[in-house]
Amino acid sequence: MKRLAVILLTLVLALNLAACGNQQTKQQASVLEKDWETILKEAKGTKVNFYGWGGSQMTNSWIDNYLAKRLKEEYDITLNRVGMDIDSILNIMLNEKQMEVKEGTIDVVWINGENFFTAKENDLLFGPFTDKLPNFNKYIDKDSVEVKYDFGFQVEGYEAPYGKAQFVMIHDKARVDKVPVNHEELLQFVKNNPGEFTYPAPPDFTGSAFVRNIIYDIVGYEQFLDMEPKKEVVEEAIKPAIDYFKQLKPYLWKEGKTYPATIAQLDNMFADKEVVMTMSYNPNHVVSKKQTGEFPETASSFVFDKGTIGNTHFLAIPHNAPNKAGALAVINFILSVEAQASKYDPNNWGDLPVLDNDKLNEEEKEVFSKIKIGEGAIRQDVLLEHRLPEMPANLIPIIEEIWMENIPAKGE
Amino acid sequence: MKKMKKRSLFFTVIMYSIIFLLLFPLVILFVWSFTKNWPWPNIVPKAFGLRAIKYVFSPTSKSLKTLLFSVWLSSVVTIITLFISIPAAKALGLYKFKGKRLFKLLILAPIIVPPVAVSMGIHVTFIRLGLANTFLGVVLMHIIPCIPYGVRILTNVFEIIGESMEMQARVLGANPYKTFFYITLPMISPGLVSAGSLIFIVSFSQYFTTFLIGGGKIVTFFMLMFPYIQSGDRMMASVYSLIFILTSLVLFVVIEKTVKAYYKAENYFYI
Amino acid sequence: MKRNLKPYVLLLPVMLVILGIFVSGLVMALIQSLGYFPVVGLKDITLKYYKEVLTDKSFLSSLSFSLYISFTSSIIAIIVGILLAYSILRSNKKERMEQIVYKLPIIVPHAVAALLMYNVLSQSGILPRILYNMGIISSQSEFPSLIFDNRGIGIILAYVWKEIPFIAMVVYTILSNINDKLSEVALNLGANKRQVFFHILLPLIMPSVFSAFIIIFAFSFGAFEVPYLLGPTAPKALPVKAYIEYNNPDLTHRPYSMVINMSLTFISIILVWLYHKSFKLISKYDG
Repeated sequence: MKRLAVILLTLVLALNLAACGNQQTKQQASVLEKDWETILKEAKGTKVNFYGWGGSQMTNSWIDNYLAKRLKEEYDITLNRVGMDIDSILNIMLNEKQMEVKEGTIDVVWINGENFFTAKENDLLFGPFTDKLPNFNKYIDKDSVEVKYDFGFQVEGYEAPYGKAQFVMIHDKARVDKVPVNHEELLQFVKNNPGEFTYPAPPDFTGSAFVRNIIYDIVGYEQFLDMEPKKEVVEEAIKPAIDYFKQLKPYLWKEGKTYPATIAQLDNMFADKEVVMTMSYNPNHVVSKKQTGEFPETASSFVFDKGTIGNTHFLAIPHNAPNKAGALAVINFILSVEAQASKYDPNNWGDLPVLDNDKLNEEEKEVFSKIKIGEGAIRQDVLLEHRLPEMPANLIPIIEEIWMENIPAKGE
Repeated sequence: MKKMKKRSLFFTVIMYSIIFLLLFPLVILFVWSFTKNWPWPNIVPKAFGLRAIKYVFSPTSKSLKTLLFSVWLSSVVTIITLFISIPAAKALGLYKFKGKRLFKLLILAPIIVPPVAVSMGIHVTFIRLGLANTFLGVVLMHIIPCIPYGVRILTNVFEIIGESMEMQARVLGANPYKTFFYITLPMISPGLVSAGSLIFIVSFSQYFTTFLIGGGKIVTFFMLMFPYIQSGDRMMASVYSLIFILTSLVLFVVIEKTVKAYYKAENYFYI
Repeated sequence: MKRNLKPYVLLLPVMLVILGIFVSGLVMALIQSLGYFPVVGLKDITLKYYKEVLTDKSFLSSLSFSLYISFTSSIIAIIVGILLAYSILRSNKKERMEQIVYKLPIIVPHAVAALLMYNVLSQSGILPRILYNMGIISSQSEFPSLIFDNRGIGIILAYVWKEIPFIAMVVYTILSNINDKLSEVALNLGANKRQVFFHILLPLIMPSVFSAFIIIFAFSFGAFEVPYLLGPTAPKALPVKAYIEYNNPDLTHRPYSMVINMSLTFISIILVWLYHKSFKLISKYDG
């Protein structure tokens, strides 16, 4: 029995050692040296694997019904959408990198923030490629903070903007006469209407964004862009805001002793008229919630005078993408007026466009202004005027930790 | 006698309560599949809709194509697993030999040892061998958890039928090939059907291994469904689940009926 | 001689797969857990990672969380499963309908079971709605959070839901085989039904129940989907923790993930051994 086990084990090892031969792949001439015409020619008739989060039917439908269809018509490209969470996508890319797989699986990846940083740090990305895209050169404001930085990380041409989101507050017009446009007015409002306002507890994504938004409103955003990710430093910088949250607390729903754990819960409370406000990182949220009938017809969004946080989501190309020419063609198409406008339409997706308004001609501007954004949403030019950059990603968990230590625990 | 009847009523009530608790969530799943909007605290949805069904059935979502592909993949897994399980089951069912216990344990082990550990361990090797992100790689990974079911059921079958019939055929001059096709195969076929249906369901329900080894290149129906469960789009998640369950159920019922025609099947489900 | 080799030849195809992939995977995990991962330049065999992981607080809390979930869910499933099997037997209703219906959870995969629990138990689920309409709770937030909670109630119930039919099937098969012969004798000798159940039937089904327990325990201990979908931020179940470590962008972290995997494997090997023992018990009763 023992001998048998030894024999089996040896077999196993032999099998695995045999597996450790090196893979040979041919060197691909850099696609970036070719001109755009050649790239399009190469892309024609190919398949492009588009990896990204697949949990939203709206988004998936836009890619499947609009993007894939148009790419087929325009460039004869077959778009293959693979819905997967970004951690797993990164894992595939890392594994391939370590195993020196020259011809990978992913052509385009939907990414931003810390994940982009990880990918770039580990040399997982192809580029800089954005200068190669005609639509990027034509329509994108290359000097804007949002194109150059992604959650505080330098982009350097390794990802192209895809769409934008922005934090908005939502209120019920029937129950709120005058919306608070800064943190002081919000405090006053909450004092006058105790128990009618609350926010989701960080690390809920939206709750955390609300906390950052208040911090920006009180101490400004500039200092955070290059802040050291140290707890003492951050604590010092946001102290006035933490004091503000302590002041706010007794007037919140349930006297601030407990907070809704998720934004979905706050939305439900708003729908049930338990509170008079909710919030969202999607400026069109209120429209879709009204369409489903969950929110009252009188629900409407607003932003603070000093602005609200917005982030941009991007598209990148892995260093070993098997079809780089196809990937470039796809990303370039996504940056077209036509695609961005279709994406902006709340009936399709409702994602904010990334094109620079100043670079559009009158005709192109009209394409966007003709889109009906729906009752209660804010026009994109108003949003863009009130838009603040996201904080560097490494500060966010620190802020959430400080909030957690100071706000819910104290005074019970 | 009256007391006996009362007692049996008592147990009938218990039985139906438990069955109700088991089925109730499935009813809710069904309702959610068609629910457009269900505000708190309503017990019944406020509005019904076909958004999810329409999406799943629209050709651009590729859902049905993926479903067919999944069925195909699991069928391949089933056939290969049965093919290698038959000789193994014969060995375990009919012969006495050294190390039999070790073999039995090794074959059972994939049920108990977490697939998570195995897939992560082998992933690097698969990438090296070029098996990662391929159909073959995923099929090989699926065979692992299926083997215990296949071998165990068929072992029991071989234990029951014994070797005598085969021996007789051989004595009468049939070659091994003929013996297998004319004697052994017909005798084990009910076992093959029930093992096959179980293997199919096990393979059909694999998520983690498909997702890790398939790397998004091999997309099964389960992988379309998972992101919706994760993101809490209950309507979409419910529709996908419903279709998933119905597919297995149709197979399960058909197989159950077929097998019943042959003999009273035992239950071989491990989980 | 030829005859002696025959069983081994017959076993060869299955063993190729089992050894080539299953055992290989585990061996590779073991090697990597010892810090040998040459692709990222780790070449020294060391127990460092074991020491670090096994003394890490979050690992220990994950381990006890996983053990707690598997144990609780398996025990509840066993009790309800036996009750269900016995009830079916005693209810005198032998219609095929129920037989198929209660097996339904078996074909429902775990991820869907997680969705079912979410639909029923979350704070906007059907259960708090019913309680609200009955006047038992007065608002949504009064309903305890059972999903993503650190007591793992949602996870436990998802497993219980899925495992009850399995246990019931195992038990029902045995009960229906032994019931008539033995319990009639006992009844004739003057025992009441309860005595028959506790003194005759229960001891007889125990060995099978034990091996079934091992299987569902091992399964829920090593499964990924349910705790991934319904689990709290902390503590995380072990398989989820292993996967998160596996996804760490720094590949020199890989050994940590593999140590967690080896812990999972080690515990399940103990379970295989117990299972083996329990089979000996069964054959003792069978004989």
